[in-house]
This record gives sequence, structure tokens and C-alpha cells, in this order.
Amino acid sequence: MDSVLGNWPSYDPHNFSQLRTSDPSRSSKMAPATYHSIHNRDVPPADQVINTEHKNILLREIYRRAEEKLTPKRAASDNLIPEHGSKQPRVST
Amino acid sequence: MFFKSSNITARIFDRQICTPAPGTSVHYARKFYENLVPSYTVYEVECPDHSFRKFTDDGQYLISFSRNQQELIVYRPRWLSFSCKDEDCDNHDLPLKAKRFESFFTQLYCVPLASCNELICKDFFLYMESNKFGLFATSTAQVHDAPAVGGAVQGVPSIEKITFHLLRLEDGFVLDEKVFCNDYVNLAHNLGVFLYDDLLTIVSLRYQIIHILQIRDSGNLVHVRAIGEFCREDDELFLNSNAQGMALSDKNKQQQLLGNHIYNNIHQAQPNPGNSFLSGIKQRLLSFMFRGLWNEETDDTLRVQKIRQKFYFHFQDYCDLIIWKVQFLDRHHLLIKFGSVDGGVSRHADTHPAFVAVYNMDTTEIVSFYQNSADELYMLFEQFCDHFYATSRNSMHMNFISSHSNNIHALEQLRSIKDKASSSSQFMKKMLSSLPFSCQSLSPSPYFDQSLFRFDDKLISATDRHKQSTDHPIKFILRRHPYSLRFKIKPGPEAGSMDGRAKKISWFLFHPVLPLALSVQQTLIMQPPLVNISVVNIHFRR
Repeated sequence: MDSVLGNWPSYDPHNFSQLRTSDPSRSSKMAPATYHSIHNRDVPPADQVINTEHKNILLREIYRRAEEKLTPKRAASDNLIPEHGSKQPRVST
Repeated sequence: MFFKSSNITARIFDRQICTPAPGTSVHYARKFYENLVPSYTVYEVECPDHSFRKFTDDGQYLISFSRNQQELIVYRPRWLSFSCKDEDCDNHDLPLKAKRFESFFTQLYCVPLASCNELICKDFFLYMESNKFGLFATSTAQVHDAPAVGGAVQGVPSIEKITFHLLRLEDGFVLDEKVFCNDYVNLAHNLGVFLYDDLLTIVSLRYQIIHILQIRDSGNLVHVRAIGEFCREDDELFLNSNAQGMALSDKNKQQQLLGNHIYNNIHQAQPNPGNSFLSGIKQRLLSFMFRGLWNEETDDTLRVQKIRQKFYFHFQDYCDLIIWKVQFLDRHHLLIKFGSVDGGVSRHADTHPAFVAVYNMDTTEIVSFYQNSADELYMLFEQFCDHFYATSRNSMHMNFISSHSNNIHALEQLRSIKDKASSSSQFMKKMLSSLPFSCQSLSPSPYFDQSLFRFDDKLISATDRHKQSTDHPIKFILRRHPYSLRFKIKPGPEAGSMDGRAKKISWFLFHPVLPLALSVQQTLIMQPPLVNISVVNIHFRR
């Protein structure tokens, strides 16, 4: 029997007798559809390197709070210069 | 969800077939400690008259000091080895030879560390697990009311000689020494010294310098930097070259006024740049505070008002702040506690106002600055307590010590104390007074894991401080089903002490891995003869 499972033993020799792998149209139907993304938002930049953050979570939090204290005041004093253009979306951790 | 048996055999079978969930392999393995407990006690063991300090964090050595505080004695913990030929062994009592101290500990060596007029500080010990190095300290007597010379802070006592000894614990060989003369370092309970990986920070309270040293694999103590008067390595050079320039210009001015009758006055007022500048770290701190207050307001008038009220009004108090205690947060950041001179040396520092700053050693910048009752600092403490412990990357098991940030039971306990506290700010101040943490002050023993056992932490805890002792045994109760009493630790004699009124304190040395613990109970007899009676018990799994 020309089966994709070869000549593997089975209880009943008639098992898998319906299987026809030599049929090309059937094999293409059997292959699952592959998803291809239609947008390019999630293409990673070519030079992206993923590393572990060296600062531990406590220090990250301390630095974040320190920067928070500085930035709102800076925005208030420099409110003539729009800063939104230079902002980058933060990666949520 | 299927019921997992707490039977040890069932657990061993489970271990053969089940893989623990990702990241929980240590917690999974620790469950076996619910089954293997130090339930048997050998009371009043005849042991050498040493003061036992602690087990090293990998469980390889027991550190003790001789009673005269001149020698270090190191033991290797081992297990009992005797066999019983009878069939019904469990009911037999232990043979007498098994009840000796020597059956549990083998003496490795005895090394004299202190010379004639020095004493080993028996509350000081730091262990570098990766190389099995131990750091000890000896010091001469303290001199109170020492004159404040050479940049010393007035009010801080002086010790003629403090020596830090680095030993290889395998054989007791002294690898290196670091001496501080006429200085003061808080040695008790490792307060003035912090070890992180191979970096050591020693706080000289008297000269207000944070010394950073590195312990090399060869065993050398190498001085890396000294933060205090100068922050960067080349600050001293820069200031000295400036001082030379200033001295030259002043000399010219003096020659012009030579014939003047105020010549004598000028001669006395020698220009000394060292005295007119605040120390480097203080400058960083004050400028950080100034900039922070300046940035809070946008209107110039309000800014000046704020600066005047909050900064200049307290300027002298801020200038008088001294460094109390330091710890590492990671290899580049220090957590520094500042306070007044009185609080630096007193035992009850809680009543004195204090401030905490995070300092980046590489950029020499202060990252943040909090008062010790600040809400923000308390939130960080509550959420990230175990990161404040700054355990070395090399020792994995030290990362599993229960704290209220990694254990729900400890967090519940903290929350209940917080709810009962009468004043929220007082409560926060009390909690934050433990920051910066002392290095290696918690035992990594799984018996103190709050998710395994419940115990009275007024009588026993992972911290290596003396506790009030009672005659009742200390119970360890399972946190999980069946919530039963698992074992008891009773310090002191089996029958209880004769004099119920005498003050008793006890401390416990738990082996980090084996079900083995030592309890030492000391009875302080107030009436003459003033004697301290020590009773040592060994608790182990029979």
C-alpha cells in the first residue's frame, strides 16, 4: 500500500487504506493555509537586537519617576515648541 | 486541579514524572522541606566556649569566634554517622556519642586574627560565595570625644585601627588586609559595609568617605574609588591645580599690602580651598535639590519664593547632613542614607530625620532623593523590597528569601500592621528606617519561607538579631493543607530555666540547606556574680 505512513505496522492491514497521498490536488488541499500579514507595521527593523535590560526593575522605576518629574515642567516652560513630532511610541513592558 | 499528596514518598514519585511550571523549580523543590524538618532537639550540648556567628550562605562552614574575641574558628557541618543493628531503630534513643557537638561539626582550623590590643568584631562577617572568601574585622578600642582633625566630622568617635581581613575559608589563609587608621566604621551587624558580587563598600563615618573596593579572584582587595570629598577620579587633581593658581594670586596681593598695618590679619587668614568648598557628594546633592525645586515652578517669582522657603531656609541643615549608611542597588548605583551627626552613631536613629538618595557612581549624579517618610519611597519599598536586598547574581538561593514583595503571606502581615498603625507617616518612617538594608543579614533557610511555614516572628525570624526568649517552644505551622504543627524549636534547657524572671535572649543559626539548626540562649544575670549562662541546643532531623 502506497501510504505516507510507509509500511508501519498496524492492527488492521486495512487501516489507512483510504489514504491516497500520490494525488497532487488532494495534497494541496491538505496543506493548511499560511497567514501572510497584509500590513507592514509589525516588520521588525533590520538592525533590531533584543537584549535583557541590565537595569533591574527597581532602578527602572526610580529613573522613570525621576524623568516624570522633569518632563511635565519642561513641556510647560517650552510650550511654544511642539514636542509631539519627536515623540516615539513607548514599547509597553 | 488534582490533589497532590503531601506524603514524602508520593512527592518523590511526582518529582520523577512531573516537570514543575516554568520558573518554579526552586519552590517545587522547597516543598520537600515540609516533610524534612529539624524536629529532634539535643538539649544543652557540651560545646566549646565560642560565640557562634553563623553558617555561611552555602552551608559549607560554621563561623565562630573565641570567647576572648581574638581567634576565628571555622567548623565544617556534617551529619551524624552511626548505625543501629536492631530492627526497631526509631524508638531507640540516640547513643551518647551522637549527642556531642563534635558529631555534628568538625573543626577545620583556628586562626588568630586580632593582635594583643585588638578585638574581633563578633557581629561582623561577610561571605563571598563564588570564591569562598570570608571578610572579618578587628578593631582597637573606641575613643569618644576625639578631636575633629583632618576633615573628620565633629561628634563621631574614632578608632585607632580598624583592620578588614580577607580569608580563604577552605584553609583559613589570610589573603589580604585593609587598614583604616583613626577612623570610624560601623561594624556591628555589617552596618557600615556592603558586599555585592565582588564589590565592597566601606563607609568611613568619621571622614565621610564611601570607599569602593573590589575583591579580586586572587584574593586582593583593590581600592577602586573613594566617593565623598571627590566624586570623579580626577576631581582632586583639578582642584589641587586650581588651588595652586589661587595661592599664587593671593601671594601677589600680600606683597602689595606688606607695609600695611593689617598685614598680620592677612597672614592668619590663609586661603584654603579645601575648607571653602563643600564635599563633592554634598555638592551633587544640593544642586540636585536646587534643580528639582527650580523645575517645579514655571513662574520666576514663585521659583525664587520656593527656593527661599524650601532650600535656603534649611540650607545649613542640608549642609550638615552626613552619610549614615550605604548599600549597592546594582554595580553602578548606591543607595545612600543621610542624616544628622547625632543619628549617625546613636542606636535609635528612628527619631532623627533622615534622607535617602540614589547615586549613580559612573555618571556621579544623584538620581533621586527622598525624605525617609516619603510616600513614593514607601511605594517602592512595598513593591520592590527584594530588589533592595541586592543579592549577588552568583548566589541563586538568596533570591528566594521571603519578603513582602514576593510572598503573599508576608504582604498580608505588612498590610495588617499598616492598618493597625495609628499614624500612616509614622508607620512608613518605621518601615523605611530599615533602608538601606544591611548586607547578608537574612538567613536563606527554607524554614523561614513564609509560603511553607507560619511562625511567630517576634520569637524567631530570618534576621540574625537576638530575640526575646521564652520558655515555650517556638512552633512552625504548615501554611498548606493540613495546616498542622510541623515542628517546634525550643531554646534553652529542656525543663525550662530555673529562674523565670531572669532576662533571656536567644538567637538561632539555621543551616541554609540541611534540616539542622543551632539555638543559643543566654541568661543575663543582673545580680553579682554577673555571669552570662549560655545554653546551646542542636535541632535536626533524626
